Amino acid sequence: MDSAFTERRRRDLIVAIALAAIAAVVPLFVKNVYVQNVMVLTLMWGALSQSWNILSGYCGQISLGHALYFGIGAYTTVLLFTKFGVLPWFGMLGGGVISAAIAMALGYPCFRLRGHYFVIATIVIAEIGLLLFHNWDWAGAAMGIEVPVRGDSWLKFQFPRSKLPYFYFALALACVAWFVTWWLENSKWGFWWRAVKDNPDAAESLGVVVFNSKMGAAAVSAFLVAVGGSFYAQFVSYIDPESVMGFQFSLLMALPAVLGGIGTLWGPLLGAVILIPLTELTRSYVGGSGRGVDLIVYGGLIIAISLARPQGLIGLFAFKRPVRSPALERKEAVQ
Amino acid sequence: MTAPLLLETRGVWQRFGGLVANSDVSISVGRGEIVGLIGPNGAGKSTLFNLIAGVYAATQGSIIFDGEDVTKLPAAERCQRGIGRTFQVVKSFETMTVIDNVIVGALVRSTVMRDARRRAHEVLEFCGLSARANVLASDLIPSEKRRLEVARALATEPKLLLLDEVLTGLTPIEAQTGVELVRKVRATGVTVLMVEHVMEIVMPLVDRAIVLDLGKVLVEGKPTEVVRDPKVITAYLGDRHAQGA
Repeated sequence: MDSAFTERRRRDLIVAIALAAIAAVVPLFVKNVYVQNVMVLTLMWGALSQSWNILSGYCGQISLGHALYFGIGAYTTVLLFTKFGVLPWFGMLGGGVISAAIAMALGYPCFRLRGHYFVIATIVIAEIGLLLFHNWDWAGAAMGIEVPVRGDSWLKFQFPRSKLPYFYFALALACVAWFVTWWLENSKWGFWWRAVKDNPDAAESLGVVVFNSKMGAAAVSAFLVAVGGSFYAQFVSYIDPESVMGFQFSLLMALPAVLGGIGTLWGPLLGAVILIPLTELTRSYVGGSGRGVDLIVYGGLIIAISLARPQGLIGLFAFKRPVRSPALERKEAVQ
Repeated sequence: MTAPLLLETRGVWQRFGGLVANSDVSISVGRGEIVGLIGPNGAGKSTLFNLIAGVYAATQGSIIFDGEDVTKLPAAERCQRGIGRTFQVVKSFETMTVIDNVIVGALVRSTVMRDARRRAHEVLEFCGLSARANVLASDLIPSEKRRLEVARALATEPKLLLLDEVLTGLTPIEAQTGVELVRKVRATGVTVLMVEHVMEIVMPLVDRAIVLDLGKVLVEGKPTEVVRDPKVITAYLGDRHAQGA
């Protein structure tokens, strides 16, 4: 009956598998450690942005406080490992669960706020989290904590001598975040979220419990972001509040999605593939003496995109969007 | 009215600060009826609608639907119980396609996507929107948006459908199509309560009319009788109808 629809979803899945397969063999040819490092970060930010996109893109609740969940994931893993000897794999899961629980606890009051007020609340709460960790002596306070590295080990998920295991984990994480989004897109939740984003009153009148939908989106989103944070902690093996919970992390999760196409399946990954290498390159080539050039590049890109393609770069492909009318294009351009 | 009651409001009051939008409103709607809710601007029609749909909780009084007290239930819960509604100012999900809009409604009855999608297609067919299924809701013309509102509400398989001025502002031909759609809806066993302004269209359509004025029930009865009632004529209908009587 809906052959076009099933067709598109199948094609999305095939494209994703093909891209993942290609990505998987790239490090076999690219041995440069610096480039591998950039690839790991690109995949990680792609996965994070994809997770952010679930709450902010699909459900429309723009969060600029996701650094909180990222940091909680990182801290849970490292603290459990250094203080209690709990393996990072369990820490990763624990961090995810704690983040999801915190996201729901915070959502309880915050999801009553709409629009800009909600965004401001997310920023403020993440800043509070940052300050708490700054002053929490047991958790290393402002000094941070170092992960004791003893050598390559899958069990302890640390690899001082190679980037490859991190690369494959980041790839897996990106695949999981993508697949979760793909799966949710055609589920009750996916439809509810988009309805909530477009018009909460109408959604409510159609039996959608708006509040619960937002809570669900927040939980899934926070869980995945925390897993990303946990991975990052293992990757850099040293964390302090600024390096895992700073405001720039919240922005870095939002930007790829905004650039690539917010609320779309492919947008966040596309955005990350463009943005992260660009950032790393500008940082290493022009960043040294003139700090902040990478941020200027960011700003310029975002301005260019919002002028030329307000719906994100994904709008350049005929991938996902149904036929778009000139009227809608004009309307979006105005916004 | 011989049909068993589907909806009843008992002494419902709604105050917004000092403004009394509904005072002591008691109306009832029988199963299978088409009831028109009319009255001049500011009479409290939309407020009563929102009280029945669950957007506001009544300040006082109770609302009985299908034998149960739903006064305190939130809107989503009332939809699950079988109250479907449209909005006077259309509230389509603009970034979603027409079919996706309707699927949101259908998901109340079945969370299996395949079933919800099939149901949504049936409803679109019923409402004559099949050809526009894959268009973005923002690209519909106004009369199609109104029909989408009805389709979305019908997809929730309501026992009672609340239509808030779905025929207002349409061309005569579009309005006639709308009237036929409402009749078709009733033929499937759905009870209809409609707020409407266009008297010429709504009067032949409804079984019973309830006139609200200044937040109170002024008159209720057969449309032909209501139109002749001097109180209604003074409050709302104007000289043209007074001469007709």
